[in-house]
Amino acid sequence: MTQYILRRLLLMIPVAFLVTVGIFVLVRLAPGDPVLTYAGENNDPVTIAYIRAQLGLDQPLPIQYAAWLSKALQGDLGRSLQTKQRVVEAIGERLPATLELGAAAILISVVVALVVGTLSALKRNSVLDLVTTSVTLAGVSFPNFFLGLILILVFAFVVPGHLFPPGGYVAFVADPGDNLRRLVLPAITLATASLAVNMRQVRSSLIDVFGLDYMRTARAKGLHEGAVIARHALKNALIPVVTIIGIQIGAIIEGAFITETIFFWPGVGRLAVQAIPSQDYPIVQGVVLISALSFMFSTLLVDVLYAVLDPRISFGAAEA
Amino acid sequence: MTLRVRALAFLALIAVLATACAGSPTPGGGTGASAAPAAAKVAYGGTVTFAMNSDITDMDPMQSGLFVDRHLMYAMYDSLVRVTPKGDIIPWLAEKWTVSPDGKSYTFNLKTGVKYHDGSAFDAESVKWNLDRYRLTKDSRRTGELAPVDTVTVVDPATVKVDLKTPFAPFLSQLIDRSGMMVSRKAVEAGGADFTRKAFKAGTGPFILTEAVKDDHYTFEKNPDWWGKAANGDKLPYLDKVIIKPITDGSVRLTNVLTGQVQATNAITGKDVPSVKANPDFVYQEIAGLGYNSMYPNRSKGFLFEEGRYVKAVSIALDRDEILAKGPAQGVGTVGYGPIAPSHSAFDPNFKPFAKPDIAGAKKLVADVGKGPLKFEMLVSSGDAGTLQLAQLIQSQLAKADITMDIKTLLFNEIVKLQNDHKHTGLTLINWSGRTDPDGNVYDFVYTGRPNNNSAYSNKEVDKLLDDSRTATDNAKRKDLLLKAQQIFVVDDPALIWYSYQAAQLLTAKNVQGFAVFPDQLPRFETVSLKK
Amino acid sequence: MFARRNPRMVVGATLIAMLLFVAAFAPIISPYDPVKVDVAESLLPPSGTHLLGTDDLGRDVLSRVMWGARVSLSVGLISVLIGFLVGVSIGMAAGYLGGTFDLLAMRVIDALLAFPALVLAIAITAALGPQIQNAMIAIGIVAIPGYARLTRGQVLSVRAREFVVAARTVGVPPIGIVLRHIFPNITNPLVVQATLATAFAILAEAALSFLGLGPQPPYPSWGQDINYSQRYLANFYWWMSFGPGVAIFVAVFAFNFLGDALRDALDPRLRRSG
Repeated sequence: MTQYILRRLLLMIPVAFLVTVGIFVLVRLAPGDPVLTYAGENNDPVTIAYIRAQLGLDQPLPIQYAAWLSKALQGDLGRSLQTKQRVVEAIGERLPATLELGAAAILISVVVALVVGTLSALKRNSVLDLVTTSVTLAGVSFPNFFLGLILILVFAFVVPGHLFPPGGYVAFVADPGDNLRRLVLPAITLATASLAVNMRQVRSSLIDVFGLDYMRTARAKGLHEGAVIARHALKNALIPVVTIIGIQIGAIIEGAFITETIFFWPGVGRLAVQAIPSQDYPIVQGVVLISALSFMFSTLLVDVLYAVLDPRISFGAAEA
Repeated sequence: MTLRVRALAFLALIAVLATACAGSPTPGGGTGASAAPAAAKVAYGGTVTFAMNSDITDMDPMQSGLFVDRHLMYAMYDSLVRVTPKGDIIPWLAEKWTVSPDGKSYTFNLKTGVKYHDGSAFDAESVKWNLDRYRLTKDSRRTGELAPVDTVTVVDPATVKVDLKTPFAPFLSQLIDRSGMMVSRKAVEAGGADFTRKAFKAGTGPFILTEAVKDDHYTFEKNPDWWGKAANGDKLPYLDKVIIKPITDGSVRLTNVLTGQVQATNAITGKDVPSVKANPDFVYQEIAGLGYNSMYPNRSKGFLFEEGRYVKAVSIALDRDEILAKGPAQGVGTVGYGPIAPSHSAFDPNFKPFAKPDIAGAKKLVADVGKGPLKFEMLVSSGDAGTLQLAQLIQSQLAKADITMDIKTLLFNEIVKLQNDHKHTGLTLINWSGRTDPDGNVYDFVYTGRPNNNSAYSNKEVDKLLDDSRTATDNAKRKDLLLKAQQIFVVDDPALIWYSYQAAQLLTAKNVQGFAVFPDQLPRFETVSLKK
Repeated sequence: MFARRNPRMVVGATLIAMLLFVAAFAPIISPYDPVKVDVAESLLPPSGTHLLGTDDLGRDVLSRVMWGARVSLSVGLISVLIGFLVGVSIGMAAGYLGGTFDLLAMRVIDALLAFPALVLAIAITAALGPQIQNAMIAIGIVAIPGYARLTRGQVLSVRAREFVVAARTVGVPPIGIVLRHIFPNITNPLVVQATLATAFAILAEAALSFLGLGPQPPYPSWGQDINYSQRYLANFYWWMSFGPGVAIFVAVFAFNFLGDALRDALDPRLRRSG
């Protein structure tokens, strides 16, 4: 087990290296010159050269990369070109909003997926099953930015009383009630995208589990049905939950970019979307790096938990 | 102001543009000593929350390149002089000033006994430090505005003398805003790199910044020791607290005002103006602004628009009324033809060279050039729906004159770079939030070789007229020179294509008093009070 | 008989056929010119003359939706083709050659998989420039790992089978073995993958266009038209986004439905339980 985790971690090193190179090159591939934006009105050649040198952007790319990487390894992602704020601080400030939205989306998605998915698995091929599988596919196919717009319009114009505001963010500490009210629509939007996948995941893994030998053996040993579910299915029920959360982390990072933009949610994704047009290199690099790393680690975590929870997976053969 | 600023200001202006009704009242007077709230007895206390349409990036006047930044600065900093809504320059931290006969030397007599919020003293030494910091720091964004300054000398603790390299008529107007804002040296040095985001207790202004939460709100507490007085003798400011919130989405912003979470905003989208005007619970004010909206051709050698007749063909083919009414401004603002805006004293209301689209004239100009049909591309920043809509509207108008305009979306920064290098092939869309002195709307954009002359325009006659206007000390003469230049760079040999003027708006709840709207669109909170 | 056994496939295929028809014949069947600006007609709600209403420049929304199918479907198909060709080649080479190439190629694939798909597509399009060709390339690149991993896995399992081993012993060159003996054995899962990837590509194109990284205006694009409508949230011009939104949904749904059905029909190993 330890060996398996170590091996996975070791394999992550070259991948993480490639990821950093990829990010660095991608961000700098775009035509345009952030120094011009930064220099603003004083765009005479002398000032521009001075600022470029100060930011280290006059160095050859490999040197810039080495400087960035060595600082990044020490937890310093530089300062935003525009606001001069430390990137770590800028991300830190927006992380609570993103995490809150993500947590709410996970909650909605997991609860609904577990309930509906389990029902659908127990009553396989029933009308309910058919409906949920179709709705599931429909859900995957629904663009979340369109869903967000529909929700905004419905609650602004159709449902009276302005129950849920069309967007914006109020910190929980400032006004808990308002915070939660504003959370509802973006959380539903974000949850829906992965809800469909999650539901299907719960259904099929439960069906798998129900058909397994050890469950049959357990029953054959004369164990009471309740005991079978409690002792065996319970542990196995955790597998879909873990998977869901794993899928969700990717979906949250992705959703952060779009959902936060639609709902004016001041999270990490919106930070990056706003930084792209002005080529605020440090911000874009920082956000993409952190989202890639958290995605990688969550995938690893899911695989490990999976291995722990699922007796069918052996640790040796994990790397495909 | 940077391109970025202009573009951001533009984004803002989609929302901010307002029809300039000539007779619009400017209640409440406005600024410090000259303020005159109508009510005899004004109540003290209370909090006003104000919504602006995007977040700031810099609180340090030296670093600031964004229009929105200035919303905060007018609350926390005082500048050497200020301006009335009519555009007259009035004393502020400088109680009075004298100009030498040759126009090259300005002596300022400063207010005494003024302290920064952090307790350090405001005096001549402090003024010199600030002006030198603005003009001599290498990456300062104020060097352009203060370029004419040669030396700053401390005469005595309450007197500062500024010598210019050449006479420069618009000099005082540069000290109204960021270049004239006084900041505590102690606060700047203690703040270091973070100062521009955490400028607590840094100014001498009517309010003290006490809390800054990026993307959320900025809190200001009353400065009990502020020096300003209202016309009726009341000590200012009235309010205990001001909160400024960035709310980027127009409908969210309006909802916040309508539900009472926000008491004032200066950004109302055109579509919403009729409804807020009709709402008895709110007061909507709108006056002519200082800014303009325009298109940049690239007039460099070897580029299509080196041919001035092509620029003119595009300019006269435009239906400016339709752009104003159906474009992103949605009817807020006024049709315009040049950079000198209706709120400038140099504005000429009779200057209407392209009042109606002249399709036949445009076709004739293109035919005269004799190189076949005119075809070019317009660069538009991707993802900005308002600008994209505008570009498509212009595209359809030009098509009527057989001019083919393709739209090419690029990242904003790429457009900035192409413009800066004079490499863009067709047109770009540029908006300028405007300056109190018309020179700030004209000189840097059309004078040969200036950094912001992105159309690479060069006309000897224009250069001469503009240079003369800078050294002219007589206002009537300046106006005359500016208008002569305008006739050339708009009509005879067009530099840019201007199509509308911006407006300044202000929406306040009924119980908010003494809140004046200024052409520069920025709020002044010191005279604001709440009706009890 | 096939149809009765697999109604989902029929539904999916029919919807796709309809979309292809609309895309192909948009110039003939669309009631108006999709780029014709007429501000006097702007923001009209749906009516007999404009079934889906008009947008803020007075353009017919239905016509724009019809023409928009061209962008969506061509991005979907071309990007899938890019991803397919590159991904399958890498996967085959990695699976067949093994060794260092396999190791290196798979690390690159892992690096691509380290990004959430849409984030990567956004980053690549932004880097290459916000144009539709670049969006196609970006979505294609994002799709590569899926094909590469699938192909490699299939090749590994097929490689050891007798007929491949036999071909190798009689001296068939590697490329011949791959093309003649291995490829035909792995087409089924690849077809499933490609169908599902088309659904993702259409959705991704809509998202990129929504963020302004799609085709050049005034050319109609579903995602971009929804982006335009966002400016009017306070005014309830719902019809501006309704048509394009439903169109995206139908297109993505059709490919997902077909892909899901194909998976059940073609690839018993991947069939969902139950």
